[in-house]
Amino acid sequence: MIQIIYHVIVLYLTIHLIWFIIREKKFWSQMSGVIVLIMFLLRLFLIK
Amino acid sequence: MKKHHIRAILLLLLAVLVCSFSGLDFLNMHKEEALFPSSNLTAKKKLSDYFPGLKNSPGDSSVYIFEGQKRGGILLILGGTHPNEPAGFITAILLVENLAVKQGKVIIVPRANNSGFMHNDPQEGNPQRYSLDTPGGTRWFRYGSRLTNPIHQWPDPVLYVNPAGQKLSGTESRNLNRCYPGRKNGYLTEKIAYGIMRLIDDERIDLAIDLHEAAPEYPVINAIVFHENSAELAAIAQITLQMEGVDIRLEASPPNLRGLSHREWGDFAKTRAILLETANTSHGRLRGKPSASLIVEGRDKNYQKAAQLGRLFVHFDKNGIPLKQRVSRHLASLIALISGLYELHPELPIQLDNLPSPVEVLQVGIGPFLKPSK
Repeated sequence: MIQIIYHVIVLYLTIHLIWFIIREKKFWSQMSGVIVLIMFLLRLFLIK
Repeated sequence: MKKHHIRAILLLLLAVLVCSFSGLDFLNMHKEEALFPSSNLTAKKKLSDYFPGLKNSPGDSSVYIFEGQKRGGILLILGGTHPNEPAGFITAILLVENLAVKQGKVIIVPRANNSGFMHNDPQEGNPQRYSLDTPGGTRWFRYGSRLTNPIHQWPDPVLYVNPAGQKLSGTESRNLNRCYPGRKNGYLTEKIAYGIMRLIDDERIDLAIDLHEAAPEYPVINAIVFHENSAELAAIAQITLQMEGVDIRLEASPPNLRGLSHREWGDFAKTRAILLETANTSHGRLRGKPSASLIVEGRDKNYQKAAQLGRLFVHFDKNGIPLKQRVSRHLASLIALISGLYELHPELPIQLDNLPSPVEVLQVGIGPFLKPSK
């Protein structure tokens, strides 16, 4: 159960990050979002 | 489509690319190194054979059993309780690949915390593996973490009350050597500890030895840590080792320090419990750049300086403390403990054959005693 809650939280934040990257106009802000997104994706797929 | 949208798509593709490369690298740590057991191996089991709750979990681990034709004492050797302490793990592998038992029974678990081998500590810069040269080629071995992989056990509690009732910081819930005697329905690490307790009970272990390493600046180093039921045995082993020129100290297991193998194996399983420590440079906080060569060669300028300043509990010079020296020390201690057990309890003989000699390991290294890679 706790694993599902964890996945839902990480997925929710991942979607928000992707939405932020798409909407953002400044390159360096988009880049910062991508750096954080990488860690969220690795978490989401339980790799690291 | 606007310009920043196109840029976002390209950056998202970049993120997927980076994730793929780094993900493959991390997942590579789940791959186990090859191990070639001696032809004298009697049986290979899994920890889940003793505690089915570990079946198909990353905490399950191989158990190698060598049984002599004559009955005698029963010995358990654990390597890899902490997968960032390679001398214990390599000593267990050396035994599995060479051992023959004439009398008694020897049970070896090289990867006691299997999950801990599947990652390493963040922000430490440790290598994922190190290599040893054998006559038939180079073989690699995993360098893991002291703790269970958080992918397999999450979240850590803020305060961890272990099965023996000791209050510890939350991360210790992933430290196998704080989780004894384990819990049947607890965290994964507690289940591993419970499985090891079941093994000790089911196999009626007479002497259980947990192989470890510690930082050269840590006081409990080059030491035999013993449960009070093994005090005499540890003292006999120390005398034997000192006579052979192996300087080793004795440390009594503190009765109030709960959850550790040398305490709970003795208290709960009533077996003779011993923990062995050697000095691992790559483990220490004073070390310089971490590398595979630091693990194997054990040379480090910072530690040389610390030794000159009198800050270490072991001798340390420009030659460092190589892995072969630490493995040789573990082997010598094992031999001394087995002979001490027979001296105290003649009804519990354990006769080993083909055991690599500690002196030879020190002289020619570990590689010649490992099977060639296939």
